[in-house]
Amino acid sequence: MKKTTVDNVNDNRFEQLKELLLFDDRKDFDALKSEILEQEKLKQKVSPFIDEKVEDLKDNFPKYFGENITEAIKVQIKESQDDVVEALYPIMGKLVKKFIVSEITKLSDSINETINNKFSIKHIIQRLFKGKTTDAEDVLQEVFEAVIEEVFVIEKDSGLLVGNFSRGTIADKDMISGMLTAIKSFVEDAFSKEGQDLEDIKFETFQLSIQNFKSIYIATATSGIIKQDFKDILYDKINNLAEIILRDRSFLKDEAKLNTLIIENLIINFDK
Amino acid sequence: MIAKKVLLVGNFGVGKTSLIRRFVLNEFSEDYISTIGVRVSTKVVSCNDEKIKLLIWDVAGTKDDEKVPKAYFLGASAAMYVFDLSREETYLNLQNQLQVIKDLSGLQKMVLVGNKKDLLTAQEIDEVKNKIPLQIDLITSAKEDENVEDAFTQLAKQTLK
Repeated sequence: MKKTTVDNVNDNRFEQLKELLLFDDRKDFDALKSEILEQEKLKQKVSPFIDEKVEDLKDNFPKYFGENITEAIKVQIKESQDDVVEALYPIMGKLVKKFIVSEITKLSDSINETINNKFSIKHIIQRLFKGKTTDAEDVLQEVFEAVIEEVFVIEKDSGLLVGNFSRGTIADKDMISGMLTAIKSFVEDAFSKEGQDLEDIKFETFQLSIQNFKSIYIATATSGIIKQDFKDILYDKINNLAEIILRDRSFLKDEAKLNTLIIENLIINFDK
Repeated sequence: MIAKKVLLVGNFGVGKTSLIRRFVLNEFSEDYISTIGVRVSTKVVSCNDEKIKLLIWDVAGTKDDEKVPKAYFLGASAAMYVFDLSREETYLNLQNQLQVIKDLSGLQKMVLVGNKKDLLTAQEIDEVKNKIPLQIDLITSAKEDENVEDAFTQLAKQTLK
């Protein structure tokens, strides 16, 4: 349909009215549009720098913040010890459990091997002739077999080492024998009545046995489970060794000769 | 190589342990001195073309009221008595203290050493020498490593007499 003059006039008025009513909105719209366009431009310009900074931060984070974070963690741990313990407990528990399981597995393998041996024909016959010891004692004895680790033959008064045998690598045996003599003298002086001597020192898996003679004493360090039988045999062997040394004093002046004697009379017998 | 037990004695704080530290590297913890009253160190020295392994027993305190096991003094081949040149009380009763050690150890002679030389002037050292009725064998300074080696060499020589 064709527009009339009146219509045109109406149209113009309507346009004018729109212009009047929307003037402010259009102004705001234009401002926002230019602002957005500006931001886009800014973003394009700034973006590479930000990426570069982010990469740098990724690579050097510990350098920039390590100290602060460590300090913050320290403070946090200090202030909330209970929470930390609660958080770590399951982890520590797992580690401890893992270690115990591994050790028990080793022990179990060892016991199994010993029990298997125990039920061999040879051992069944031996059991018929054994004394009062129980099977449990036998198994423990074999799993944790007593081993002579160190032997020291020491001059009684001076603490000078005259001969020794060692399975380990003791750095300064002379110093050890000196300190052992000092500790022995101290204990005897502090706790003993006249004529009594220090005989045993126990520490963790070791037992140090001391046998005193006229001018020397013999100290043996033994690991494992030490049964009375073993102890009795050891004392006998040491007595025999001391007898040989004290009868032939040349052993006290020749360390190499004495060391051979210790191995032949004490160590080989027990290792067999 | 022969081994000899030697004693290092003297009042508390005269510098015996410092002398040993200067002289030997291998040593037991100092806790032993406060616990059992002695600590043993070893050192190999050459003396008269012979190598001697010294077992040095550092004995803490020798006063009458201090109970030190007599066994510590047995079997020693030589002894060094150390006093502090800067503390009169450590050398006032010197003759009596030396006699106590001689009686316990059975030794006839001892090396007499005045330590902490670095704390006194030459004139003050002369004054100390005049006060002491005995011949001082060596004046040492463990701090400045002066005459320490000589003192132990003299001690090693004593073991061979």
